[in-house]
Amino acid sequence: MAAATDIQTVNIIVNGIELAVPKGELVVEAVKRLGLEIPIFCYHPRLKPVGMCRMCLVETGMKNPQDGTIRMMPKPAAACTLPVSEGLVINTESDALKKDRKGVLEFLLINHPLDCPICDRGGECPLQNNTLFYGPATSRFIEQKRHNVKAYPLSDYVTLDLERCIQCARCIRFTEEISGDSQLAFRFRGNKTHPITFNETKFTSKFSGNVIEICPVGALTNRKYRFRARPWDLQTSEAVCLNCSNGCNIWFDHRAGKVVRINARTNEAINEEWTCDKGKFGHDYYNDEKRLETPFARTGDELQKADYATVYAKLLEAFHGDNTGMILGDSLSNETYITAQNFFTGQLGSHNIDYRFSANQAKGASTVDNSIASLELAKTTLVFGTHLADDLPIVFLRVRKGWFNQGTQVILATDRSDEVSEFAAHTLVYKPGTEATIAKAFAGQVSVADAAAKCGISEPELQAAITAAAGATVITTTSLNHEAAEVLKALDGNFNAYPTGANERGAQLALACDGLSALEQLKKAANGELSALWVVGVDLFSVGLPREEVIRALENVDFLAVQDSRRTETFYYASVALPMTLPAEQDGSYTNCEGTTQQMKAIIPPVGQAKPAWRVFEELSIRVNPRMPFSQASEILASAPAFA
Amino acid sequence: MAEYKLLLKHSDDPATQTLAGYKKAGGYSGLAKALKMERQAVIDEVKTSGLRGRGGAGFPSWIKWNGLPKEKVKPHYVLCNADEGEPGTFKDKMLMETAPFQLIEGMTIAGFAVQGDVGYIYIRGEFIDAAKALRKAIDEAYANNLLGKNILGTDFSYDLHIHLGAGSYECGEESALMSSLMGERGMPRLKFPHAPLPTVSGVWERPTLINNVESYSCVPHIIDKGGEWYATLGASTKNSRGTKIFSVSGHVNKPGNYEIEFGTPLKELLEMAGGVKGGKLKACIPGGSSMPVIKPDAVDVAIIGYEEMGEVKSMVGSGGCMFFNEHTDIVMLAWRTAHFYANESCGKCTPCREGTRWMVQIMDRIVAGNGQKGDMELLTEVANNVEGRSFCALGDAAAWPIKAFIRQFPEEFEYWIEHGKSPVTSKEALALVP
Repeated sequence: MAAATDIQTVNIIVNGIELAVPKGELVVEAVKRLGLEIPIFCYHPRLKPVGMCRMCLVETGMKNPQDGTIRMMPKPAAACTLPVSEGLVINTESDALKKDRKGVLEFLLINHPLDCPICDRGGECPLQNNTLFYGPATSRFIEQKRHNVKAYPLSDYVTLDLERCIQCARCIRFTEEISGDSQLAFRFRGNKTHPITFNETKFTSKFSGNVIEICPVGALTNRKYRFRARPWDLQTSEAVCLNCSNGCNIWFDHRAGKVVRINARTNEAINEEWTCDKGKFGHDYYNDEKRLETPFARTGDELQKADYATVYAKLLEAFHGDNTGMILGDSLSNETYITAQNFFTGQLGSHNIDYRFSANQAKGASTVDNSIASLELAKTTLVFGTHLADDLPIVFLRVRKGWFNQGTQVILATDRSDEVSEFAAHTLVYKPGTEATIAKAFAGQVSVADAAAKCGISEPELQAAITAAAGATVITTTSLNHEAAEVLKALDGNFNAYPTGANERGAQLALACDGLSALEQLKKAANGELSALWVVGVDLFSVGLPREEVIRALENVDFLAVQDSRRTETFYYASVALPMTLPAEQDGSYTNCEGTTQQMKAIIPPVGQAKPAWRVFEELSIRVNPRMPFSQASEILASAPAFA
Repeated sequence: MAEYKLLLKHSDDPATQTLAGYKKAGGYSGLAKALKMERQAVIDEVKTSGLRGRGGAGFPSWIKWNGLPKEKVKPHYVLCNADEGEPGTFKDKMLMETAPFQLIEGMTIAGFAVQGDVGYIYIRGEFIDAAKALRKAIDEAYANNLLGKNILGTDFSYDLHIHLGAGSYECGEESALMSSLMGERGMPRLKFPHAPLPTVSGVWERPTLINNVESYSCVPHIIDKGGEWYATLGASTKNSRGTKIFSVSGHVNKPGNYEIEFGTPLKELLEMAGGVKGGKLKACIPGGSSMPVIKPDAVDVAIIGYEEMGEVKSMVGSGGCMFFNEHTDIVMLAWRTAHFYANESCGKCTPCREGTRWMVQIMDRIVAGNGQKGDMELLTEVANNVEGRSFCALGDAAAWPIKAFIRQFPEEFEYWIEHGKSPVTSKEALALVP
């Protein structure tokens, strides 16, 4: 990055005030340095400026360097597309501009349905706000308004209302410039112009939710939120998305203790201002009808509601010594992992505690050289053995941003082509299971010809990709074949094996994993050799293991404790079960894929008698060995050196 | 003054549409001369000639030519804007159909002067005949080493392609034309000072020269006979040199293309076209439908020249000169014009997209007999909000004529609004009322 003194500045005059701003900065950004704001619709700082809406018109002129006279231009210019230059004179306030802004807003409103009272955007709408500040109070338009499709379902998540649309192209530009799927485009021309998917096909972008947020009117609305609340009825809280390991910052909008919608919260280091659709629309589990609300204990064949004291007694009776095991999910809080380790190993004396379900994952822990933000600066990136848009959506956006803005050369090696191949310079699609061979080819450990033949890739293609990948920043996940990961790790460039579980990184830091692995525990349980198994925050039927094996393990273990937020399939095999709070219902911290630990406060009340898992461990712990327990999540984190 | 046929000299002679005939008539001597000159000397010759863009804006051509990088790093493109869509203008069509080699030679000289690699002629989609004529001529030029590799034995190589538009007026706007040529939506792009000039970063972000058909067609004559000679044409005007083709249409006895020297009175152009047909002159739109309308008294004094026309509050434009006789209903004329621009607005920017439709709706109401008091003021206001606020000049083109019609003929609008019917009661006019 250039030192501050290296930035070339130019002198401009804004409303009579002289100031120096970086050369080439857009006028709409430059005036913010004076605290001024120019009204906008189509301009978005993260999208290329287009100058379509004409809302940001300003008066411009040039100062003559010789005699200092100022010559103003006859026409106003769009501030969002005009870069500053030496001697530029800008007026953002004048009677003529007031009239221009009124004129543009009048044009935008004549065909706008003005159905604000039933519009989801009403109350947080840039069109409403700008009209209030700059618009005409009444309309001179007495003709028929333009009618168009309303409430058109673009996808399962996004509804399009073309009467409200002001044709700013923000959504179109998002799909072209940020998500890269280019699924939206303008159709027709003149006053019939409107955005739509090609041939009206389903809008299947994996980042479609963002267009709802950047839409400056209510043309694109959230189908999950539609008509469920008015913005002013919502309470909003800072939160972190825990649907994957990226740890996107989100606004958690809730009403009467229930989550209503999720919006992106800006964090330049992680998600900028984007979310993926999994994060934006995938928070239904809070309101799941299968939420576990009370403890349960088994009497004969039946699981019956019980109280904590009963269940605690049963747990302490069943768990002691090395013949018991604990399996945790990978999206629990750091506090849960820390207290689980302390309690299960320290108090109950069992080292069999684990969170990993794949053999590769168990062998190699995550290694991270690059923060998410630094990925966009990489010269060459090798994406290996992962489908980024699915596994690490925000990392995908960064890699694409690097390619789009800086021309990062991207090489993709994977078992099927995906979103990355759209912009990758080289795409190698290898036969599933040949990861190690192709990794070795990158390291020069096997001949290109042999590797090409074995992996089903043409030799020149492989050779070209290997040549291009010299010194590349490698991006993969912890579930990559261990042999391949070791080879790639030894290459010259940075190596990043990002974890994919929401807090897999935290689990890795907090848990010693020096006993039986999760897979070994299940195997032992299936053979009837494990006396008790404790499953925390994970449904063993949804981790990719064969069903029969899981059933055999769960049926043959003497005592099964399940601690979860909902009645999962595993729950029905339990000897005892404990209700667990979800992230927004508890204080906690989570460490994302790049290693950033983010705090989250309790936002909504817990469901029923649900407790944070760490509190259960603490309550049990003091029953084994009396001491002053931790009462707050922050104390637990502070006690753990791994998170210092 | 009479007609001065320079570009249209051989337009009546089909023989000049073959290479042999064109050469016999003096063709390709300009290119032969240019190839022996320094590239800069060719540009200087164009500068001396005082040639200004014939597409409508009247921008000095040499500045564009001189703007391309002299140190060539990336390929240079030469574009010809043959998307002639201005209502009332049909000069480029004739130039392409009757003198295709003249255009090709002009573009080849331009390509040589700016170190062009490839030229594209972007032809309006409806101009099938022009495209056919050019296709034939280009093929012949290739066969005779006048295009392609090492033209006339020099180290200058140059390819020329034809690209047909898909029916959009907006694609005649140079940046929209480039978008369209690149396969994008025909919408205008950011222009200087918001983005680099096309000469620096144009089509495919490469240095690009773009001129009108008529401008390129002038070039062989400028090089052949010299810029100084060319500058003697139209010397009586302030800053307009050479000849200009006017497409005269409307209520005249002999409509057609007339090539005249700058400095010719507009009245004489009307006389060349055989005078007004079917009655007295009522109005004239001198430069294509987007130019402001003028009244007979202004026609009497108007001198054709870029600056001179400004004195009667109109413009030379693209040279689509329309005369209207006394049976013309100006409100209906304005109504038709408004419809055209609303239909052709690309929809990119708010003022043009919404304003042109609003003007149409008001005009529709007036000609349906439902005009209201204040409609004229409202129309003018809407036009004012479009003019100068739109992304490209299409907004201006839509606003100017409406404002001018209201300014010049307020009584006709007042009559329509008050009585709900046309002030012109002749049969000819009534036939137009829907």
